[in-house]
Amino acid sequence: MLLRSPKNLHYPITVTELLQQPHDDVERFAPLFSYSYKSTVTEGNEFGEVFQVEKDWYSKFESEVDGTLVTWKIKKGTVIASSGAELAVINEPCRHEIQFGGMCAECGRDMTTVAYNTSTRDTDRATINMAHGNTALRISQNEATKAEDEAKRRLLASKKLSLVVDLDQTIIHATVDPTVAEWQQDPNNPNYEAVKDVRAFQLVDDGPGARGCWYYIKLRPGLQQFLENISQLYELHIYTMGTRAYAKNIAKIVDPDRKIFGDRILSRDESGSLTAKNLQRLFPVDTKMVVIIDDRGDVWHWSANLIKVSAYDFFVGIGDINSSFLPKRPELEARPPIKAAKVAESPATFEPTDGPPIAAAESATKADATQLITPPQSPPQTNGDVSALHQLVSMGGGDDLKKLKEQTTQQGEAIAAQLEDRPLLQKQKKLDAAEEEANQAFSQEEPDGGNKDDTHNDLHRHRHNLLQDDDTELEHLERSLREVHHAFFDEYDKKLAGPKGSRVAELKGDRSAKKRSADELEIVPDVKVIMPNMKQRVLAGVEIVFSGVVPLGIHPQNSDIALWAKSFGARVSESVNKKTTHVVATPIRRTAKVRQAAKHPNRIKIVDVRWLHDSFTRWKRLNEEPYRIHHEAEENGQTAGDRSIFDVADDLAMLSSSDEEAAVTEDENEKPGLEIDTVTPGELEKLMPSEPQDDDSPIGGTNEDWQGMNDELAEFMGSEADSDSDSESDGDSVKSNTSNQTTESRPRRKKRKRDGESAESTEAEDSDTSTSSLKGSRLQKRKKRAIDRTTSLTNMATTDKSSSLPSPDTTGADDDEEREDGGATTDDDDAALEAELEAAFEEASDEED
Amino acid sequence: MFFLHELEHTITLHPTYFNRDIHELLTNKLLQTVEGTNTGNYFIICVMDAYDISEGRVLPGSAHAEYTVHYRAVVWRPFKGETVDGVVSSVLTNGVFVDVGPLSVFVSRTMIPAEIVFDGNATPPQFTDNADQVIEKGTHIRVKIVGIRAEVGQMYAIATIKEDYLG
Repeated sequence: MLLRSPKNLHYPITVTELLQQPHDDVERFAPLFSYSYKSTVTEGNEFGEVFQVEKDWYSKFESEVDGTLVTWKIKKGTVIASSGAELAVINEPCRHEIQFGGMCAECGRDMTTVAYNTSTRDTDRATINMAHGNTALRISQNEATKAEDEAKRRLLASKKLSLVVDLDQTIIHATVDPTVAEWQQDPNNPNYEAVKDVRAFQLVDDGPGARGCWYYIKLRPGLQQFLENISQLYELHIYTMGTRAYAKNIAKIVDPDRKIFGDRILSRDESGSLTAKNLQRLFPVDTKMVVIIDDRGDVWHWSANLIKVSAYDFFVGIGDINSSFLPKRPELEARPPIKAAKVAESPATFEPTDGPPIAAAESATKADATQLITPPQSPPQTNGDVSALHQLVSMGGGDDLKKLKEQTTQQGEAIAAQLEDRPLLQKQKKLDAAEEEANQAFSQEEPDGGNKDDTHNDLHRHRHNLLQDDDTELEHLERSLREVHHAFFDEYDKKLAGPKGSRVAELKGDRSAKKRSADELEIVPDVKVIMPNMKQRVLAGVEIVFSGVVPLGIHPQNSDIALWAKSFGARVSESVNKKTTHVVATPIRRTAKVRQAAKHPNRIKIVDVRWLHDSFTRWKRLNEEPYRIHHEAEENGQTAGDRSIFDVADDLAMLSSSDEEAAVTEDENEKPGLEIDTVTPGELEKLMPSEPQDDDSPIGGTNEDWQGMNDELAEFMGSEADSDSDSESDGDSVKSNTSNQTTESRPRRKKRKRDGESAESTEAEDSDTSTSSLKGSRLQKRKKRAIDRTTSLTNMATTDKSSSLPSPDTTGADDDEEREDGGATTDDDDAALEAELEAAFEEASDEED
Repeated sequence: MFFLHELEHTITLHPTYFNRDIHELLTNKLLQTVEGTNTGNYFIICVMDAYDISEGRVLPGSAHAEYTVHYRAVVWRPFKGETVDGVVSSVLTNGVFVDVGPLSVFVSRTMIPAEIVFDGNATPPQFTDNADQVIEKGTHIRVKIVGIRAEVGQMYAIATIKEDYLG
């Protein structure tokens, strides 16, 4: 150990004598050298006078460790000016690299004792916690590296990688709802088929209110096979946010012989953090050979080692029973459409005459049921409306004791509530009721039922089950993992073959085996590079716009699905623009973006979320055709009149807190209406194809241009432009200016929006309803006028733009002038239009008065 | 090492328990609360008898009664240098954990003879000298304690098998 001068000496000090020679054995606290330092003191003499005197003081420096002195770094007479200077090297008999419970595991000394001259605490020498099931055992960086190298060599020799597996919703789904047991007992129950292989165990020491409660575990279909196959290629570790007892029980179920996971189980008791999972906890030095599978990316901070799998949601609406400690799930995984579609299909297969009405009703009820996934009794699990701040708070508060307690109680409550409320039973009842209605409707439609009863029974059996056992994720996951494994070892073999061959040729292999194995470790390829590469290829060149998929209140770029898509190489933008290739939407709602995209059926594909999900699971860019929705979307885009009841339900499901809902539905309504404004004149269409040549011009210039125009317009609009909704749009336009991609289309729209709004400021937010319902009314007229005006303004905008293009480097002020010129001279219409605009504007304000 | 130790414990009792069986109740409560606990220095294995139960004293202000119980118990106190038998509870690259009764003892790799090496490929992982000696989960093992550290309610111990007649 290298001794350094400590902080607490009176510097500068001068070494006066070295008391120990190299190779001497040094005891702890034994003096190593003596030194002198100067200090002023106050002295008095016999006459009562007081002086400040500078004096030399002598002292000895004592060793803080014992061992053998190797060399001195100082000599007699050396002046040590400050702390941190090297003094001597002492060879310790034990470096205390493995410590257990504050003791050195090698020499048995207590590591927690601190003496007056301790510079670094002994416990700090071994800080890494690497063991799966124990937190008291800590090792040093050195030791960790050694252990990891050893493990890597072992894995390389057996051609394996490490795989960290999450439990809840990744390979299993757990619930405490006792309904499951009842269903299991009853072969006549529609869900019997699905739940008959559900496994159960009892945990005695669980949270308050649920002592000794039973857990029901559904294995993901094909799990046994998956684990067996994958364990040939990977060494598997469990990393779960459940308790240790829970994890052990699950391991017992999925791996009864303890062959697959062994003792490699890490639970939240040992994790060190309740809100995030950290790969460094298991692999402190290097994670080159580690792959993670988990259903949540956020807890891993979207680590490059992660393969995110779709959450396994077998017990509908239960969510992850161990997630109350985690930061709230940012959004619902959009699985419902699959189910809706599935059910819509199923009656058709059973009964060909069973026409579309029922299928529609069916999918409607189903959609309704699944939309209501957010169970009121477990708010921490699936709420969509989590603000970023809240999330931060919950993440930051994770270590806080009070918070922890609260969360524990919360989890206990959630479990108790689940026990009591039996969400599954409720849902099944609801479903039954809904289907009853549907069936009645069906029998009314087709009264000639000789075999009606048969079909009914048939339908009953097949259509009543709430739980569906149709998950194929693991098959695809296995394939992906195989591919990763393959790619990794291909790369490794390639690298291994290269240098080895040349070296053998050069040196005839007389290097030591040790050296070679060290080299081997150096050339190990990195999963963190290989895997993202493979994934990036999947959706490369795809530019996605989400519409109606990302819950409101979450920034589209940071939403789970966007991050997920990005990890597969797709790019995500916020609005439909020239580069957009896909619009991911929901089939039940036709949003403005969808309408906008529908105008370019050749370039932009409007697909269901399932396309993304399926592409993610298969690691393949799938053919979009089966997933396309809104084929029939018309050129002009429909008015928002077709916003039906589902949309409202959808909104409700996505936002459970009512105030936010109010805020957001307003927003929702506003957008379509305004974008209709922009779209209906068909201007945008005309402009869009003509614009690509503009694209090459320096965008910075045009940006300023737009900014300038915005300012000017704001001025022009005067006080009315300061209305509430306007400031909002202002913020939007500023934002859009910052992102270059969207500047082309958006500011223009915003301006028109502003124009329209100021004219009809009161009814702007309801414009969609007004267009559809209040025909021929005064509002309608005004709206029409507003549209006219906006159209003219657009004309002006484009001409302006073209005029300012030749001098793209001009500053904002110059630009303004020039534009005014251009606006006046190049286009006579413009001036006239401006006048007309002003007139219309005054008229509008008159009307408002 | 096991000792017969005389100890003292204070029990507070709610007034609802004030009746004839109070001594039996106190004994039961004593057994429940102290048996199997770790005081930091030793484990209380078994209470032999409660030989002296004091008069109850009602605490001012709460109506609870306080009893002081003197009892004898078998306690186990591990010592540094003591040789004990245990069962391996888990095997890691760095060493093995051995359960010696209620105490979990760590045997580091450096405390294991050099010829017995870690084999991570075996399922379950084990330490082995590739002959008849295998240390895996469940193996009975004799270790010598080389260090003990006590915290409140917790004890940590490390041990060695790197001496004759150990292992």
